[in-house]
Amino acid sequence: MATAIASSRELDDSDAVVRLYWLKVFRFALASLRDRHAAETLAQDCFFRAYKARGSFRGEASVSTWLMRIAVNLVRDHARDRRLQFWKRARLTAVDVNTAGRWIPDGGASPEVAASMKEQVQAVWDAAGGLSERQRTVFVLRFVEDMDLLEIAAATGLKEGTVKAHLFRAIQAVRERAGGAKRVGGTK
Amino acid sequence: MIEHLSVEQISQWTIGERTPQLEQHVAECPECRAELEQLETVLVQFRAAVRAAGNSASPPAWREAASRGPWFSWPRLVLGAATLLILVALPIGWRVRVQERAAEAALADSQLLERVDSAVSQAVPEPMEPLVNLVAGNAGGVEKNRKEQR
Repeated sequence: MATAIASSRELDDSDAVVRLYWLKVFRFALASLRDRHAAETLAQDCFFRAYKARGSFRGEASVSTWLMRIAVNLVRDHARDRRLQFWKRARLTAVDVNTAGRWIPDGGASPEVAASMKEQVQAVWDAAGGLSERQRTVFVLRFVEDMDLLEIAAATGLKEGTVKAHLFRAIQAVRERAGGAKRVGGTK
Repeated sequence: MIEHLSVEQISQWTIGERTPQLEQHVAECPECRAELEQLETVLVQFRAAVRAAGNSASPPAWREAASRGPWFSWPRLVLGAATLLILVALPIGWRVRVQERAAEAALADSQLLERVDSAVSQAVPEPMEPLVNLVAGNAGGVEKNRKEQR
């Protein structure tokens, strides 16, 4: 009860909430939509809705999980909303994970290893892009946001078993794409 | 002959569900261990790449955006429709009004002309009455005059 009140009060300080959770929501939106502009719009919408609905927050989940649930719903709406199909076609601000993030692999790696790693990261990014919206959502929540299965279940409204099934399929797709599924379940 | 990890077991390991049997197999099987390590490394690098891409963004002035609200809302739609209706209806109303005024003016003109005609035809000054009779070609009147002269 005390936690719920504390969390509810936390939501009243909207600036602090945005400061704390902006990156988490934005990253999830970016990895899901793959468009920087659309991700910013979605993140803003997420905080706007959370602020408006803060009175209905009961503290059953953490503020972080509650925000992620709003973001997950917005991503789902975005995928369904034909009015926004424009984003899928135009992708004017589409993100390439290796270039837009100025991401540099471990500095100790040789140029060959670094290049290979970039290729594999790009393969994972591409594989994630080919997943269904739900599979991608649980994949991003697990492997980008480090959320455990129960948190993902709370954020997506899915059962834990369903989350696990989506994750298994996502991992398999990623392994196939990234070249890590040369041999599975075989014998030697 | 050694059984390698199945697809499900690899996924299970990757999401953190590690049973003693799995751990034992991974410890004893260099191929499976290498494959799992490679997958984990790629996923860790993927997380780093996405976080690097996302971390370059800073929170915008979301309050201003929030105060603007979403572009679609029913009050906005109603207001827009009302504005459109006014913009369409105003010129039509103005045109109808102009036409009505023209019709009223035409009617007033014709009524005025009728009144003038009527007044002109009825109000003949007394000195001009013989002339009117003459113009009318009243033969009876001419004959009457002649009889009076005799």
